[in-house]
Amino acid sequence: MTFNPLEQRGIPLDRQLRTWRELDVEPIDPDHCDPYTRCRIITMNGIETEAVMFSHQFARHCPDPEVKRQLAQVRYIEQQQQKAVNWLLPGLASVLETTIAYEQVAVDLTAWIARSEPDPYLKQAYEFGVLEDFDHLYRYANLYEMIEHRKADTIVEGLTEVMPGRPTKFHHRHPEDNVRDPYDRAAASPLSKLHALTVMSAEQQTMNFYMNVGPQYMEPIARQLYQEIALVEEEHVTHYESLVDPGETWWEQLVNHEYNECYLYHSFMEQEPDPRVKAIWELHLNMELEHLRIACELMRRHDGREPQEILAPELPPVLTFEPNHGVIRDLLDTQIDLTTLGAGYVRDAHERFQRLQEQIHGGEEPPSERVMAQHREQFGGEYRWQPSGEHPDAASRERKE
Amino acid sequence: MAEDVVALLMRQHGDIRNLFDEVEKTSGEARTEAFRRLVHLLAVHETAEEEVLHPMARTAHPGAEKVIEQRLAEEKGAKEILSRLEDMDTDDPKFLPELLRLRTEVMHHARAEERYEFPHVRRTSGAAQLATMAKALRAAEATAPTHPHPGVETGTRNALLGPVAAIVDRTRDAVRKVMGR
Repeated sequence: MTFNPLEQRGIPLDRQLRTWRELDVEPIDPDHCDPYTRCRIITMNGIETEAVMFSHQFARHCPDPEVKRQLAQVRYIEQQQQKAVNWLLPGLASVLETTIAYEQVAVDLTAWIARSEPDPYLKQAYEFGVLEDFDHLYRYANLYEMIEHRKADTIVEGLTEVMPGRPTKFHHRHPEDNVRDPYDRAAASPLSKLHALTVMSAEQQTMNFYMNVGPQYMEPIARQLYQEIALVEEEHVTHYESLVDPGETWWEQLVNHEYNECYLYHSFMEQEPDPRVKAIWELHLNMELEHLRIACELMRRHDGREPQEILAPELPPVLTFEPNHGVIRDLLDTQIDLTTLGAGYVRDAHERFQRLQEQIHGGEEPPSERVMAQHREQFGGEYRWQPSGEHPDAASRERKE
Repeated sequence: MAEDVVALLMRQHGDIRNLFDEVEKTSGEARTEAFRRLVHLLAVHETAEEEVLHPMARTAHPGAEKVIEQRLAEEKGAKEILSRLEDMDTDDPKFLPELLRLRTEVMHHARAEERYEFPHVRRTSGAAQLATMAKALRAAEATAPTHPHPGVETGTRNALLGPVAAIVDRTRDAVRKVMGR
């Protein structure tokens, strides 16, 4: 089925405001939900948060009071959308459980996008990043078992495997080496722009989440691990945001944001098994169609261009949450020892990388290693969940004492 | 490093949740057996909390009394569902929906403790106190099997565990002995 958001009519903006009663959504059941329903909620929370913060930045750079008022109106609705979406997460879940779900999002969202990305340079950026989120999942899973005596598989349910990726201690690179080259806005496929925006938003939400919830933990190892991984998320946001062409005008960026929201709500509506959650995706799609229409109007008026020039003629195939065991295993087999140098990728630990490693580790093991040592001490081994077999990288297999 | 009672209780919350998973996923004999272990651990856990944790948390700050009252009300609600479940055959079609209600009540109660009670206990107790409480909890835990004993028949096993009231008594004795009361 083809779906062109530019040809669809949404809900008029003045009918989009919701009452408290309408915002008071019933949360999902943490023990009986589809893990990918939780992933879609986390993804859309990241997308709506980016929509809101982008709109604030736009307003701060915008001298036209009429445009500011228009942005404020749409943004107020987007804030309500964020509330309706993120409040689907249950108070019954612990912060660590939600963290593990965030990493499941990072793994399966980025892996799917890496598979679907037409541009080889962008594809490489996603393939590189996904092995790091994959490792974070494994470290947090071990922390989770230590603190809550629960196995991360009760959250990810075998859809995502839990085993080492590129070791977290090697994620700490010189900040200069985290900056990628951007795509060219005139030449890039519209799909590439949506991918970059989606992964950037998800990683940004992860960064914000860890930097704020980390200190809520009392256990020293938990506090330390959140600090370390939150700092890697800073690198990931730098990595992904630099893929976006900075030459895009504000109007163009606004249209891309709104179009992407239509694309994602449409995708998630198509695959959502929970009828209550599906109804929210459908409602929000119908709201986004109107936001897109308004953004296109602004672009025509202020940029003097037709949005069709930068958008795809119809929505790309639906973005899907599904297992990526094979994809991840192929990457573990071929890219586990990569690092970055300038805007490219290398295998050797170059001088700038090593210098930063020495500076930040200060001759000691980082929290991501100590969490494993403590887990081994407490349980006599590591927590892993590998339904698709042993680790493809021989050096990453668990050594039994 | 001495064990910390709060860390232990958090892990016990996980163990309880694991047992709920097991009861949900099994049927017949295996379910009855898993349910027995769940009931036993719940009885031990709640008794130990009532004996060790709540008295400490009660004095943590003015108003703490009210917080504990809410926790006790939740425990009472859970106990009511539990007693209904105990009279039911575990393969009764009404068993699972009732079990899910219990699970939600127990989870709600556990998270509330983790968020509103545990931080106060850690703030106001010294390391030695936390360690004594941990020891008491360990003594209580020793009376609750979280894993099945293979090869033991149902009759013997039930006799081994006994009715809930007896479990509560035994747990209370074990805890009080360590706490020196």
